[in-house]
Formats: sequence, C-alpha cells, structure tokens
Amino acid sequence: MKISLILGITACFSIALADQETLVLVDNLNIRDTHSQFFKSLQDRGYLLTFKLADDANLLLSKYGEYLYKNLIIFSPSVVEFGGQIDTETITKFIDDGGNVLIAGNAAAGDVYREIATECGFEMDEDSAAVIDHFNYDMLDDGDHTRIVVSPKNLINAPTIVGSHNTQPLLFEGTGLILDKDNSLVLPILTADSTAYSYNPKSQVKEYPHAVGRKTVLIAALQARNNARIVFSGSLFFFSDEAFNSPVSKVHGDKMKADLSGNKALAVHLSEWAFGERGRLRVRRVHHHRQGESQSSNTYTITDTVVYRIEIEELKNGKWQPFEANDVQLEFVRIDPFIRTTLQKKPNGVYEAVFKVPDVWGVYQFKVDYDRVGYTRLYHTTQVSVRPLQHTQYERFIPSAYPYYVSAFSMMIGVYLFSFVFLYYKEDTPKTKSE
Amino acid sequence: MPASSVEKPLNSPNKGLFNNTAGFSTLITVTVLLLAWLAGFASRLFAVIRFESIIHEFDPWFNYRSTAYMVQHGFYNFLNWFDERAWYPLGRIVGGTVYPGLMITSGTIHWILHTLNIPIHIRDICVFLAPVFSGLTAIATYLLTSELWSRGAGLFAACFIAIVPGYSSRSVAGSYDNEGIAIFALQFTYYLWLKSVKSGSVFWSVCTALSYFYMVSAWGGYVFIINLIPLHVFVLLIMGRFSQRLFVSYTVFYIIGLLLSMQIPFVGFQPIRTSEHMAASGVFALLMAIGALKYLHSLNPKGQWKQLLILGGLLAAAAVFIAVVLLTYMGVIAPWSGRFYSLWDTGYAKIHIPIIASVSEHQPTTWSSFFFDLHVLVCTFPVGLWYCIKNINDERVFVALYALSAVYFAGVMVRLMLTLTPVVCVLAGIAFSILLDLVLREDELPIPQTESEESKSLYDKAGKLKKRAHEPTLPTDNTGLGMNVRSGILIAFMILLMLFSVHCTWATSNAYSSPSIVLASYGNDGSRKILDDFREAYGWLSQNTAEDARVMSWWDYGYQIAGMGNRTTLVDNNTWNNSHIALVGKAMASNESAAYEIMTMLDVDYVLVIFGGAIGYSGDDINKFIWMVRIAEGEHPKDIHEADYFTERGEYRVDSEASKTMLNCLMYKLSYYRYDSGGSPPGYDRTRGALPGNRGFKLTYLEEAYTTEHWLVRIYRVKKPDEFNRPRIPLAKRIISTTNAVSKKTSKRRKGLLKNKPTLVKGKKVSRLE
Repeated sequence: MKISLILGITACFSIALADQETLVLVDNLNIRDTHSQFFKSLQDRGYLLTFKLADDANLLLSKYGEYLYKNLIIFSPSVVEFGGQIDTETITKFIDDGGNVLIAGNAAAGDVYREIATECGFEMDEDSAAVIDHFNYDMLDDGDHTRIVVSPKNLINAPTIVGSHNTQPLLFEGTGLILDKDNSLVLPILTADSTAYSYNPKSQVKEYPHAVGRKTVLIAALQARNNARIVFSGSLFFFSDEAFNSPVSKVHGDKMKADLSGNKALAVHLSEWAFGERGRLRVRRVHHHRQGESQSSNTYTITDTVVYRIEIEELKNGKWQPFEANDVQLEFVRIDPFIRTTLQKKPNGVYEAVFKVPDVWGVYQFKVDYDRVGYTRLYHTTQVSVRPLQHTQYERFIPSAYPYYVSAFSMMIGVYLFSFVFLYYKEDTPKTKSE
Repeated sequence: MPASSVEKPLNSPNKGLFNNTAGFSTLITVTVLLLAWLAGFASRLFAVIRFESIIHEFDPWFNYRSTAYMVQHGFYNFLNWFDERAWYPLGRIVGGTVYPGLMITSGTIHWILHTLNIPIHIRDICVFLAPVFSGLTAIATYLLTSELWSRGAGLFAACFIAIVPGYSSRSVAGSYDNEGIAIFALQFTYYLWLKSVKSGSVFWSVCTALSYFYMVSAWGGYVFIINLIPLHVFVLLIMGRFSQRLFVSYTVFYIIGLLLSMQIPFVGFQPIRTSEHMAASGVFALLMAIGALKYLHSLNPKGQWKQLLILGGLLAAAAVFIAVVLLTYMGVIAPWSGRFYSLWDTGYAKIHIPIIASVSEHQPTTWSSFFFDLHVLVCTFPVGLWYCIKNINDERVFVALYALSAVYFAGVMVRLMLTLTPVVCVLAGIAFSILLDLVLREDELPIPQTESEESKSLYDKAGKLKKRAHEPTLPTDNTGLGMNVRSGILIAFMILLMLFSVHCTWATSNAYSSPSIVLASYGNDGSRKILDDFREAYGWLSQNTAEDARVMSWWDYGYQIAGMGNRTTLVDNNTWNNSHIALVGKAMASNESAAYEIMTMLDVDYVLVIFGGAIGYSGDDINKFIWMVRIAEGEHPKDIHEADYFTERGEYRVDSEASKTMLNCLMYKLSYYRYDSGGSPPGYDRTRGALPGNRGFKLTYLEEAYTTEHWLVRIYRVKKPDEFNRPRIPLAKRIISTTNAVSKKTSKRRKGLLKNKPTLVKGKKVSRLE
C-alpha cells in the first residue's frame, strides 16, 4: 500500500506514466492476495495499482477536474454503496471522459453493479442468481454446479481482445449477463454453453430464467464511442489465483481436462485490451492532392484524378507501428457515397487510393471509417469542395461549331468584298439616275 | 396623326413665351427633375435615419455578400465563384446562378470612386444604390412619357415615380435588390424602344438592345420586356401598322438583344430553349414573313396582292405557332416554368409548387394594396389610358399593352405591383397633364406656367410628325369653363396631389422603411425600443462556432446567416433545389429521433429557429411551419402528412388541443423548449395567444446553445454521435429491476457501505470472505 502510494505520487509528476494509473476498489485488502497473480501481471506491465476499500470515505476519481486515474478496476461485489465521491454517476462520467473500467462481480453482487452494467448496455442477473450448468461443471464444484467449465470455443472471434492461443478450458463461477441484441457496441466475449442457465442455485426454478443457454453471457465488453473500454465479468473468481492455478476436469460429457485452466492467459489478454495496450489505431497523417501535383489542395475540379493517402498506426508493445490490413476502405461522400474503394496498402502503413472525382460538383468528404471488433474506431473525414469548370476551362473550339465559324468568316469576307462593289457601284448609279 | 391634337392648341398661345425663353423651359425641366431626384432620394432615407446604414431583409444580404466578394476578388473570380458555404453539401455556383448587373453596377461605382481617391466602403454604396437609382428611374420615366405624350406629362410622371410607395417599397436605402436598378433599366429600355419604333433607326434599336442587355443582367423580370415588345409588334401587325421603321427596329433589337442576353451565364441558352422567350422569336419570324410578302407586294402593287398578303400573314402566323407547339412537345423547347405558369393559373402553385406559394410576395394582391401603393394614381391612370387609346399611334399602342398586362400581373402577384407602378405613373402623369391643360389653357398671361406644359414642342423635332392634324375636338368641348370652375378644379387637383405626396411619405416611412433585421417596438408612452435579436444571434454564431460549422434553418434565413454569421447554410433564399429544402422541412416536421437521422446525414452542427412567441412577432417559424410541412410532404409523401399537424377539426393550434404530431415535432420542441417568458402565465405564447400544449420536455439529441434576449432567435447544437457514448439501457427496457437505494452518504459521512463487512472484534481472527 505504502509503496504503491509513493509510486502513485511519483507517477503524478511523470506524464508518461499517466496512462498506467489504476485504481483498484476491493471489498477487503485480502483480495490483493487472493488475486495476486492477476495484479502482479498488471504491475509487471508497468501499471501503478492503488488499492482502496470500496467504502473508503476518501475515494476520489478526479481532483480539480483532472482524473487521477486512467483505469479503474472494481473487484468489490459486496459493495452496496461506494464511499467518497464515487458512485454510479461518477463512474459513467469517468467512462464518458475516456476512462477504462474492468469490473468483476459474483452472485452476491449488489444493485450498484447492476446500475453500472445497465449504463454500459448490458444487464446483470438478479441478486444471488448464478450461472448453473449441470453438464459442464468442474470436479471441484461444491454441488451447486456453479463452478462451470467453459470451452474456449465459446470465446468471441476477436484475437485482439482474447488473444489467439486460447486452447485451455476456462473456469467460471458467478452470475450471468444479459445482452441487448440490437446493441452493436456491446461484445459478448465469453458465453456459456447451451446447457447453462442463470438462476439462484439455492431455490427451486419457478420462473423462466432470465438467461438461458448461449444467451447467458459470462464476460461482456463494451467499447464506447469515445473508445473507452469496459470489461464486465460476472465472476470475480475468474481472475483469482485459485482459478488460475487449478486444474480443470469436467465431470460429464467429453471429459474436457487440463492441468491448468486457461483463465490466466485470457484474464491477462482481457486486461491488456481493456486498458488500451492492444487494438488501438490512430491516423498519423492524411494527404490528398491532384495526380501529378504534390501540393495539397482543398478544392478540386470535377473529373480531376485525386490521390488520397492515409497513414495508419497501431499501438504494439507500447510503440506506434505501421498498421497492417487489407480491408481499409475510403468513401467519397456527398450525403451518399459517390465512390467507395478499398485502399491499396503501401509500405509503412500508408494506404493509398487514386480515383477520378465524380462529374458532380458539391462539397465532399474523404471518409475513412474503419470499425473492426477489438480495434478502436478509426474515423477520419476531410472536407473538400469539388467545383465545376471555370469559364476558361471549357473547350474553346468545338467541332460542331465549325459550320458557324465558316459562316461567320465567309460573311466577313463577303461584306468586305461587297463594300468594294457597293462603293464603285454607287458612283455609277447617281449618274445613270441623273441622266 | 391625331396625337398632336392636344398639344397643338396649347402650343400656339405659348409660342411667344417659348420662343423668347428657349432655355427657360429646359431650366424648369432640369430643376424639376433634379428636385424629383432629390425628393425621391430623401424620402428613401427613413430607414437609415431611424435605424442605421444597414442592408435590409433577406435577398439584399446575398447581393451584398457577393458584391463584397466581387470587389475583393475581382470580376472573373466572382464569375467562377463556387460557394461551398451555401446549400451544403451541394454548393452553389454563384457566378452562373445570379443576375450580376447589380453587383457590377455597385462594383463599378466603387471602382470609379476609389480611382478618384474617394475611399468609401462598399456597404455604403450598396445601401444608397437604390435611392440614387430612383432618380435615374424618374428621368427615364420622364423621357418615356415625353416620348408618349408631352414633356409636361413627363415631369408629372417623373415626380410621381420618384415618391410613389409602390416603387419606393423596393428601393429604400438598404434595400439592395435587383429591382432597385431593374426598374430604371425597364423604363429606359421602353423609352429607347419607343424612340427606335418612332425613328426606325438602327442606332436607337442598338441602344434598346444594349439597355435590354443591362436589364437582363439585372433582373429576371427582363422576360416582361422580351414578351411585351413582341406583343407590341404583333398588335401593330394586326392593326395593319406594319412599316419599315417597325421592321428595322424590331429585327435589329431582337437579334442583338438575343445575342447579348445569352452572354449572361445565368440566362445562357434559355432565350432559344424556353417557352417564355418563344413569343419573341415567333414574332420575329412572322415579321420576316410579312416583310417578304410586303416586298413582293411592292414589286407588283396592283392585282390581288392584298388578299394574298393577309392570307400569307395568317398562314405564317399559324406556321410559327404550330412550329413552337411542336418543338415544345418534342422537348426542344422547355415548357413554361412553374413560376410563369402560376401567372396564368393562380391556383397552380398552391397545388403543385408549395415553395412558390409559400412566399408572401407571391400571394394575390388585395384591393387595398393597390390604393396603398398607388393612392390617387390608381384612380387617374385609366384617364391617361383612355386618352392614349383615343389618340392612338404606334407608341401609345405600346403603353396601352404595357398598362393592361401590368395590371393583370399585379393582380396575380403582390410582387409584380412593381411593374405596374411605372406605367401607372406614366399614364397618371398624362392624365394630370391633360386635365391641367384644360384648366389652364386660356389663361395665357395671368397664371405663370410652372407646370411647363408649354415646353413640349421641343421634342417635336424627333421627326415623325410631318403633318399636324387640325381638328380641335378636345378644346371645343371645354371652352365653356368659367373662371370659378377652373380655379375650383385647380385647387381640388392641388389638394389631391398634396394628399398624394403626404400619403407617399407616410407609407414609405411607416410601411416600407423597416430593415426587418432590426425590429422596433413602441411603448405606451411612445418611446422606441430596438429589438436587435437577429444580429445578436448571427453575431453569436460568427463568434462562438467553428469556422466550418453548418447551420440548419428554414430557407428564409439562409442569406442572413451566410451574410452576417458567415457560416455554412443548408438552404437559402435562392430556392433552386426543392428536394433539399424539403429535406430540411422534413427534419423540422419530424420527431426528434427521425430529425436527428436527417441532421447527421447532412452533417448539421447547429439548428436555428425563429420564435416570436415572447414578443408577439408573427413572422416566426411556427407560423411558417405549415409550409415546411407542405413542402416536405411534396417530396416525402410517405413520412409527412399535412393533416397530422392539424387538430381533428382542421385547426392549426399549438395549445393542449393540438395534434400529437404537432406537439412532438422538432420545430415545436425547438421553439418552446424551456420557454417561460411571455407574461402570465409564464410560457404564454403571445403570437398565437395560447399556452403551449407540450411543456417541460427535455431534448435528447440537441442542446440549447444560445437564445437571444427576446427569445426571437434560438440556436441549438446538434449532439455528435460520440456524445451518445454508451448504449445505456433505459429504465423501461430493463429486464431485471433494481431497487433505487437512497444514498446514505452525507456531506460529513462519506463512507460507503459493504455487505457482510467483517467487523473487527478484538481477540478474534479475521475470517476470509472469498
């Protein structure tokens, strides 16, 4: 505690470390020990953890309008009301201002958890409800069949979030989450098997459970529109040393067995993703110009050929490195996209498109909207105007006008010749008339 | 010609006086015209004196903005100006969609003054351009009238047009609009046309074409000229008044005028492609045909050529007509545009083009406005018309046609009152001149002839009057007038004219001199209070929003936002794209979430609405709203239904009995959001005299950004999608209910609460929880 405090104070002076400031709210300080492996993995990666009791009267997230922490871990399922200045509102405000949150609960978690969950777009099942699976429970289960074994196949297909090497079965004990189908921002990271349901294990099933089968989500995540990330686990046990270390052996079915559960790998991955170590993209540079020119311009003429380059970077191991993908698309939009094309990959994370501006003038936007599961949303627009031809840019001599040119010039010559005829003729006529 | 019958008897008694003081009449003419100019200029300054030197209303703001652009960037850049700040995201090619005459005129004046080292701001030129041009209009009217009748009548007409409200309504200081200079161009073109018809000279015809070119560059009303002059020619042909003079003047005018008018980018190929211009080319072809027949006739004057001539003429007319109709059906010639069509079928716009019908100046004219705009002239101009028809000649046919068509158009649209006013002034001038002639004719010596009727013989050298008819029909009728009757009539006329000028001054000052962007209200004690909400709001926009912020408002305010706020607008007063306007109308008429979709599609940053409920300003957006609904329904009949916005009994209301759609549409919400002013009870709408039916609501997708002092202009910021950061599940949609625990924290005791918190009991081992 002391060390972390001192570390915290020193970190205040170093901006570089500001991303790593993490507040951990716990029920009791024992959790430091029972979940030591998880916390250690965080500390090894440079996070400065500040452990506080959830009911501490001096809890603070921000001071003088500045956030003291970048990340928030809530490992205190028994909290009824947070102490100090923290409540649901400040936590949602923290998320809205870009903070990352990792929350883990259990079957006994109170309404505060439920409120935070609904603020993030998912729901946590009723008080004392736990995920029960009578077919996929662990050997060490105490009879309620709540310590369930989940196959890594139930993980979401997003390597940035869960990592790519999840082969070990996972142990889970806690409550289920319910996701709204219409909600596109919320990700079901781990779902239960089709035989699972969520109910109070101590009572008889009288009502239809809120979450049944694969709809029972065990770990859910949300990447908010401001790229703040929230990972919500129904099980605090999932992150514990006990779960990390214990062997897995399923009682029924295909006898899934492993010496060591896959919890640790997944928990570490999840925390990496949640706290923004993975899956972060940024636009480094955008450049567009007429083909054959190097100077950028905000105004194009219709049917110009335009070169658009965007340089995208990804955060890897703490460094911004060129991003590799082949599905980045560019739209050239005026209300509706007039052109939609896949950007060509060039070295050093540069993506390029060469296209002809449509023959329609107006105010357009180059729009790159790269939204993939697990990555921060990459959205970049540049507004340019496409103007019609200037009065000097039209074709000067069009072929269909040649008859008119001929007629005009022949007329001019004719008048010129005629004027001679007229002049000489005129001198003659008065004589003849007078005579 | 019978025309001179009135002039003749008048001239003879004054001959002595006139001969002695040849310059005297010129002096009077010049003095009267100068005074008319001065009076016209002065009477248009009410707006500047009451308020300030400011551009008025809506369209003038665009004209001013583009003039300033032209002065700053030069003419060619103006011609190629692609304005990306208007009609976002479509943009507008200003150079190609504008009549540039106004900008070029004030730009030229600016250039001349600056060349002479007179540093004057372009805004002042723009503000005072219309009053200055009213003097030129007076002179042009004088010339036209003296061409028609006499110089005395011309002076009367010049004085009338200088102050008549029907014209000053569009040309007060600050009203920087096309009409300000176009009426001058109109009158001057007509003058030159009459001159060329009279003289048959190529010179005057070319002058007519040049003046017509100026008119084309200045105002879309040039179509009136290009239809009226052919009509004149056509009627003359029917009346059998074909002459070489007519032939020369029309053919020269038409060809040169056609070529010149096509040089204006906005007009382009319209003169040979649209129905509005077909009358001119048809008459041109007809004139050619008749000219050819006449020529054949002259080869052999004897025989049955006359019948052949008539038959040939009729056949040619029929052929021309059929050709035009055929070409229209084939699509070579565009049919009548809606705006012109609505001149013939007054109900057409209301059904098919609500956007035209929605403009107040496109409404039919009421009888009272005829009197209000023209006063005594509207009663006297038939007299002038009657005299003109009675003593008909080529050019009086023209003025008769002018008067009849203008009266018709003025009856159809309030706006076209403007084209009626000049001809009314001309004919009323003639009428007054004739009546005064009658009264004053025999009093050779005692009454000094201030009206200068005597001077008209000057212009007689114009040449066409070879023979003077000696049929003193009119004078003989009036010889019996006694002295008392004369002076009585004279005094009555003077009083009439005095009342007229009093009315003109009053109407100009009270009805037409409001800048409409600055409002004035008068308290009970007569004190004046200035409501400067519009400029306050536009100033706020220009100071507090991003440079490229896009502001959505109803199209009326587009030019003002661009001109004063310098921000991008979606639609403006150049209503060229109906579907874009309909989209904005749909957004205003939809509920908040549907409107938000449209607004994000159009990248809207701010929404601006005008709300007059707090001060009782009736021209606000709620009162215009039904037009937004109609225009939106025209383009999106599936989503918007006009009937939804009325109550079941078909009333347009905003109080608690209003329809649900009405109470929840965006326009309603933006107008009444947080509104608690307007006297008692708070939130009372003084414009509609009702208490809003939906109050105390909250906005989801917008937030109030600014409201002006008198609630007149309200600006809202549209929230960006990333402000709806989390997909929060609203209480109603939650499956699992939570108890709303009341916080037990107090300002003193900040400690939270944990379930089953292990209490520390001394001497006992702490039990583990997990």
